[in-house]
Amino acid sequence: MLMFSVVLAGCSGGSEDAKEGGEGKKELKVWLMGDTTDETLIKEYEEKNPGVKVSVQLIPWGSAHDKLLTAVASKSGPDVVQMGTTWIPEFAQAGALLDLTPYLEQYPSLKQENYFDGAIQTMSYDDKVVSIPWYVETRVLFYRTDILAEVGYPEGPKTWDEMKDAGEKLAARGNGNYAITIDAKDMNYLSMFAWQNGSDMIDENRKPHFNEPEFMGAMEYLKSFYDTGMTPLASDLDLFAAFKDGQFPMFISGPWMIQGVKDKAPEIEGKWATTTLPAKENNASFLGGANMSVFNTTKNAEEAVKFISFMSEKESQLTNYDVAKNLPAVKSAWEDQRFEDPIFATFGKQLENAKPVPFIKEWDAISKEAIAAFEKITVGGADIKTEMDLLNQKATEMLNKK
Amino acid sequence: MQNFIKRFNHYKYPYMFIAPALVLLLTFSIIPIIVALVISFTDIDLAGLANYSNIEGVGFDNFINVFKDPVFLKSMFNTMFYVIIGVPLVVMLAMGAALLLNYGTGLLFKTFRVVYYMPSITNIVAVAVVWGYLYNSHYGLFNHILSWFGVPAQQWLTDPALAKLSLILLAVWKSIGLNMIIFLAALQGIPRSYYEAAEIDGASKWKKLLYITVPLLSFATFFVTITTLIGWIQFFEEPLVMTKGGPLNSTMSMALFIYNNGFQLSNFGYAAAGSFVLFIIIIAVTVLQFAVKRKDVEY
Amino acid sequence: MAAKRIEKTVMTVLLIAGGLLMMIPFIWMITSSFKPENEFTAVPPTLLPKEFTIKNYVDLFTKLDFIVYLKNTLIIVFWSFVGLFLNALAGYAFAKYEFPGNKKLFYLVLATMMIPGQVTMIPVYLLINAMGLTNTMAGIVLPGLVGAFGIFLFRQFMSTIPTDLIEASRLDGAGELRIFFQLIVPITKPVFAVQGILAFIGAWNSFLWPLIMANDQKLYTLSVGLQLLKGQHGSDFGLQMAGAAFMVVPIIIVFSFFQKHIIEGYTISGMK
Repeated sequence: MLMFSVVLAGCSGGSEDAKEGGEGKKELKVWLMGDTTDETLIKEYEEKNPGVKVSVQLIPWGSAHDKLLTAVASKSGPDVVQMGTTWIPEFAQAGALLDLTPYLEQYPSLKQENYFDGAIQTMSYDDKVVSIPWYVETRVLFYRTDILAEVGYPEGPKTWDEMKDAGEKLAARGNGNYAITIDAKDMNYLSMFAWQNGSDMIDENRKPHFNEPEFMGAMEYLKSFYDTGMTPLASDLDLFAAFKDGQFPMFISGPWMIQGVKDKAPEIEGKWATTTLPAKENNASFLGGANMSVFNTTKNAEEAVKFISFMSEKESQLTNYDVAKNLPAVKSAWEDQRFEDPIFATFGKQLENAKPVPFIKEWDAISKEAIAAFEKITVGGADIKTEMDLLNQKATEMLNKK
Repeated sequence: MQNFIKRFNHYKYPYMFIAPALVLLLTFSIIPIIVALVISFTDIDLAGLANYSNIEGVGFDNFINVFKDPVFLKSMFNTMFYVIIGVPLVVMLAMGAALLLNYGTGLLFKTFRVVYYMPSITNIVAVAVVWGYLYNSHYGLFNHILSWFGVPAQQWLTDPALAKLSLILLAVWKSIGLNMIIFLAALQGIPRSYYEAAEIDGASKWKKLLYITVPLLSFATFFVTITTLIGWIQFFEEPLVMTKGGPLNSTMSMALFIYNNGFQLSNFGYAAAGSFVLFIIIIAVTVLQFAVKRKDVEY
Repeated sequence: MAAKRIEKTVMTVLLIAGGLLMMIPFIWMITSSFKPENEFTAVPPTLLPKEFTIKNYVDLFTKLDFIVYLKNTLIIVFWSFVGLFLNALAGYAFAKYEFPGNKKLFYLVLATMMIPGQVTMIPVYLLINAMGLTNTMAGIVLPGLVGAFGIFLFRQFMSTIPTDLIEASRLDGAGELRIFFQLIVPITKPVFAVQGILAFIGAWNSFLWPLIMANDQKLYTLSVGLQLLKGQHGSDFGLQMAGAAFMVVPIIIVFSFFQKHIIEGYTISGMK
């Protein structure tokens, strides 16, 4: 009997909520991803806009893409949606995202000049502004100051050659000690080295350049990490433990690792630091994070844009950093004293020189192929030139399809 | 017409009994698969999903391309490997476990029923985390145990040859429990009198097992074999959560290939073509099973 | 007699050894859920936590909208039991009635089991959407209400019931539905127990479909809630272990309850 009343309660639940939104208040539906559980900003917005009720639905990151697909299919998405930056071209090309260009004058906080160069590249598709950066992340070099000092680089390596030199010395320690991890399953990781070696991978005319010296050189450089024992071919060492124990005195990763190292390796406090990536032609890093877009099926476009504008204000960006440790996308927020800590300041510096991956909808598919090709070279021992010719051919086919 | 009504009246009950189930299956399985069949002849992607006017027919291109795709061919080979090793293991171990648990009636045996069933009831996410640790080459329990015997550490999930076997081990572990209780339920249906008669004839335990128990389990064995086979041809969750199909696609299964192309890359048409190939393979294998079974019964 | 005792000992040892192998991952999961985060990567691995903590569980309950998710999960469980009876009815009809199309319809049902789930998700979603059932419990529950596996299992077991038994009841004047509920259901209690457990587990762990259907967090299930705890980069293992361990406990209780019936039933079929 108890079961039955629960069932009935559950069935009626949905309709009541629908009414609630209608009582003179406009309802704004917002989809946010997984770990954004803090509602401070939402409450602040509702206080400032008493006529609006924001209903947030949290979506687990792992299934967010599936959920967004079905929303597009049924043409019944939310008003505002948080997007992983690499998904934007796909959804924009499908026409799922509202063109925000007409609103830029009215809401100056959305204008491009407020954001880092790399982030600006994620805002527009086909000359339309379709999304606004909400928070950013970039990758920097984390290193053990004490161990790197022993091999002569107390400030961390500054160039590719220094990195290689330091790496080989570190690998020479033996006993299961290595120099650095390589995230070979992550195309963002491989892309950074390609950019640093002067490769754009895919140019504005949608032509791939994987079998050219710049890209192949980057692959060769990374492969040499394996060949010289700087990096193990397969490793499932826990990064935090290995950083603490010195097996991996260096790794390249994003801001979320800071708190991780502090929590899980408190013993090495003061013995580690972050620095911008070592340079070849340049020291470009990857720029990721999340943007906010308006679904084009919205009936509350005005309210939706206003909400995004609020989220992009300097104060909101700082609050978001306080509650969720998400780095501000708005440049001016970085002047705040919160970012004076050198470990964080590095990220601000690196953001000046960070780019998103090529902004085309085929990128996910191409990067899967590129990762597979790199795996064939490293694990399978295949020839770089052969694999890269093949990769370039596949990429050309994919890009020519439409 | 009247004849028809009369006929229908005669069969009213069976039709009424199957109607709800059939209507639901028709709506949520048969119609969608027809939709998928149509999709497999188009180039539908996300843009097509958003606006149907973007969809174009491509004839048999998707089917031709999928057979040219080395990853798909590899996934077919891997799937065969999983099925050939995994299915017999599951059926035998599940039957063995059921016989073992059916041996006694004490508290110990009752408790262990739960123990043997536990793996089947675990959330796949939990399984992934726990087995990820067990297989971890540095902190994992398996390598730790191997080290007691002086065996060098193994790369359980990153060695292309070993990874497939590691996934099979996990999947077998996970699917024993469910099939075991089906056998257990079937074992309960064997009348005690059969054994008593055999005992009077002086049959040994082994003979009783071989000539009474196993043949009388044939209904259950058939069921378990078919469902396990169908399940394993659709092998999906284990590689998804443990290896994502790597290293070098050596653990890629057909279902994972379909998922990757459909949901990760939004190539719905291509994925639908792949899934039709999978669908046809499953039907062929099942029909074969039924045919073999029919022969069996006739002897 | 000595031989009998040796045999029993061998069986018991086998049972326990096999059981331990099955259990390792569980013991690991339960004990790990009480470990602090930095103990996960200790070398050599620790089986029992060195430093016992319930922080993971506290976090779990404070971060989840627990009551709402539990309620939804229970609703889905309830409906899965309704579906169980529909499966049983269909299985019974396929097993014990002669009617035109019996074989063909049964093969059709079997065919639905062979359809790879990955490919029908979007068509099913579009159908539900066309029916206006997105964001409702009905939309979450309906597509999975009946299943070929269940129908097949019921049919397989029910076809071993002697037809004489059913005919006898008919002669006594029992209606068809009454025969089903008063004769068939009690005889096939073990199958119902097996199916009951399966239905419970399926509903309890349901994740992707409720998420796709829900346009409101008020319709989320426990499994969806657990997934929310996973971040974009890496994740908190202690919290996940606690979540996983917590999800398993009710299943073990339900299983222990049902499994008695697997063993106790099936006495009547011996009448053959």
